[in-house]
Amino acid sequence: MADTQVMQNILRDEQRLPRVPEPGVMVIFGASGDLTSRKLVPALYELAAQRRLPLEFAVIGISRTEMSHEEFRGRLRKTLEEQRSGEVSDDVWESFSNGIFYMPGDSKKTETYGELKELLKRLDSERGTQGNRAFYLSSSPSLFPAIVENLGEAGLNRGEDGGWSRLVVEKPFGRDLGSARELNVELQRYFDETQIYRIDHYLGKETVQNILALRFANGIFEPVWNQHYVDHVQITVAEDIGVGSRGAFYEEAGAMRDIVQNHVMQVLCLTAMEPPVTFDAESVREEKVKVLRAVRPIPEHEVEDYAVRGQYERGWVWGEEVPGYREEKNVDPESVTETFVALKVFVDNWRWARVPFYIRAGKRLPKKATEVAIQFHSSPHTPFARDDTEGLEPNVLVIRVQPEEGLSLKIGAKVPGTGFEVSSVNMDLLYGTAFLEEAPDAYQRLLLDLMLGDPTLFIRADEAEGAWRILDPVMRHWSQKREVSFYPAGTWGPEEADALLERDGREWRRP
Amino acid sequence: MIGETRQAPGGARMNVGQIERELGKLRTNDDGTLALRSSVLNLIVVTDEESAQKITGSVSKLAGRHPARAVVLIADPEGEPNVDVGLSAFCNVRGGSSAQVCAEQVTIHAEGPAARHLESFAGPLLIPDLPVFLWYPGRFSPRSQEFAAMADLADRVIVDSAASQNHETCLREIAALIGDPEMPAIGDLQWVGLSPWRSLLADTFGTPERAGDLEKIESAEILYAPGGENRALLLLGWLASTLGWRPECRNGGGQNIEFSGPSGRIVVVLSPDSPDARLRRIRLYSEEYSFQVSRHRELSHARTTVMRGDELLAERTVHLGSFDLGVLVGEELRYRGRDEAYERSLLEAVEILDL
Repeated sequence: MADTQVMQNILRDEQRLPRVPEPGVMVIFGASGDLTSRKLVPALYELAAQRRLPLEFAVIGISRTEMSHEEFRGRLRKTLEEQRSGEVSDDVWESFSNGIFYMPGDSKKTETYGELKELLKRLDSERGTQGNRAFYLSSSPSLFPAIVENLGEAGLNRGEDGGWSRLVVEKPFGRDLGSARELNVELQRYFDETQIYRIDHYLGKETVQNILALRFANGIFEPVWNQHYVDHVQITVAEDIGVGSRGAFYEEAGAMRDIVQNHVMQVLCLTAMEPPVTFDAESVREEKVKVLRAVRPIPEHEVEDYAVRGQYERGWVWGEEVPGYREEKNVDPESVTETFVALKVFVDNWRWARVPFYIRAGKRLPKKATEVAIQFHSSPHTPFARDDTEGLEPNVLVIRVQPEEGLSLKIGAKVPGTGFEVSSVNMDLLYGTAFLEEAPDAYQRLLLDLMLGDPTLFIRADEAEGAWRILDPVMRHWSQKREVSFYPAGTWGPEEADALLERDGREWRRP
Repeated sequence: MIGETRQAPGGARMNVGQIERELGKLRTNDDGTLALRSSVLNLIVVTDEESAQKITGSVSKLAGRHPARAVVLIADPEGEPNVDVGLSAFCNVRGGSSAQVCAEQVTIHAEGPAARHLESFAGPLLIPDLPVFLWYPGRFSPRSQEFAAMADLADRVIVDSAASQNHETCLREIAALIGDPEMPAIGDLQWVGLSPWRSLLADTFGTPERAGDLEKIESAEILYAPGGENRALLLLGWLASTLGWRPECRNGGGQNIEFSGPSGRIVVVLSPDSPDARLRRIRLYSEEYSFQVSRHRELSHARTTVMRGDELLAERTVHLGSFDLGVLVGEELRYRGRDEAYERSLLEAVEILDL
């Protein structure tokens, strides 16, 4: 066996050939849901069509809906064609879909797992999938513990004949610190942490990974990336859309659970972390966890000084009058669920001591924008004091994640003329205009990493818990109150969010 | 690709300073703002009158994926002495109505003695601190002083070993360049076009039991079209150098090649096929299995199969990807260092030719 592995590597072991995962099966629980047809299968199809999946690959979908293999494949193809305006190659689809199977079953019943085990064995034998399995939990989070327990009891937490077994968990990773810990205990009862892949598709975005590239591939930024040079940091994750048809979900979640606990905390980690020794999973995740550990806890009795929650009211976005949150479908007319969060946090370590990180995230803001703005200290002395320096402002480096990914650096420059008038100029670089290459879809990247066994862009248990630990006191405080601040849709949040910065003599930048 | 191409008048007597000034003006938007110049590399292209239009078209398309300062040199040493300069910029307008970032192209048409000193045009126009790629889309003379002077400017030279009428001589000449320590790294578009084939073939040995059969290959056949000889030879060179096959003899008009391998004799047949694709099919046979990658006759699809006798064990159809000139060159531009697998395969191919 060892010799044959070496032989296999001889053909594949080359810098210019793409890495292709080992043979394997992906088992999707909750396969009749939108995630499977809209994200997972299109991503897998694209990977297969682009020669990034092994020849011996199969997908098994499981849900309670009664369906044949053919019906399941037909549904998936229909969605794929809608997404691609009909541009699906018959030959490629036929070949890919031959490896897609469907198994109706109740994920709470043990017999489902007996059947699954038989099907997996059959695929190992017929399709050469080598006993390797990835179980993707795309069902309701309430079913996660039952699925994991049943997988474990059926012995599916171990690969067959020396193969591997991996478990993929979609966010949310719990509702708070307590439930996140409970979930982690449940998962780790049957699966080792190295087998668990907690997925936040945000980390699969090329744009988010570019924060790391900017910081650690460019020597000029690192020396000034600390409290000696940085006055404060603003992280904005703004959406212009409302909750739409997700009212019921949002009532349970709110902006804190939907966006801040995962996406925003990840951006905070990538912005504040120390350089990892290497770009491997443990080095990167260890540095991220250190940031979360260093975030100063917000005492419950001081939440008002550090956090603001808001909810959008009826207003105007891009020329259209839109309803307030309480008027949305499946939303309680007296709901106090937050659609906007603003936070001030400190990362208490040597690099970031006394540097506030201002965070805001919300829905129905004037535009869709995700960015990290590093505002540097003003120059300690200006030799141009006798001249007009009114327009001169501190340098700001902005990393824009979306919609137009790029960098912007605000610098002072002399205005042409006989005097010495200095004015701020923005130097903009849009990555998208430098490289027009299509970035792979986040799910394509993450599913490939999963099959390759690379968990770098997945979230570790202590990362998930670390993020909840920071936010828990704020959420507890809010849960005891019936008040929420309002902001008209199409504005940058409630007045209290502005006051949060004004108290420190600062203001939010306009993305 | 969303963007616009802007052109400046250019002229015969432009010097470097004037060219830079005119290129700057090309980046000026209608509203008076100045678009940024975005460059990740310098690309020098040496071509002739006949191919100039096609090549400049490919270079413009490359600007989207590989923003560069492109210097296209059209040489006609036999013409009346003349130098003509053309300037253009491809400006990306994604995300707004005004152009944001521009990549530039300088086209110099040199006739007469100046056409033998193209390095004197290209050198001063290179952007500092960026790698320099030198691309010969057509025939080139690797032993000439002109080539050496141009290669001296470059970090990597891209050639097309199929562009020459005598493909065997061309492979030998490139192999000689690789052995020259003064030469930069060499890339060959015929090798780039093999990447999907090599990847698909490697896939067929993806399971441990079949990987073991790599040692037991007994015969192989490669079907290629006219113009695909070098691609077929490089593919065979790659297999032989990777799997430890030593070339022993050629017969059947050079189409049948015998190797000695770790487990015995291997016979490979190189067969010409219809001209609709440079490579049509590769099939490897072991005692138990046959492994095949074949290209669809009409579509850019490849079908991979693994058979045991008449039993189909694994099968898949995928996109083979584009073999458009711009795509192949773009792939080469992603790569900066020496390509050891290519060099090994090329030397092996030359050894096969020498039998």
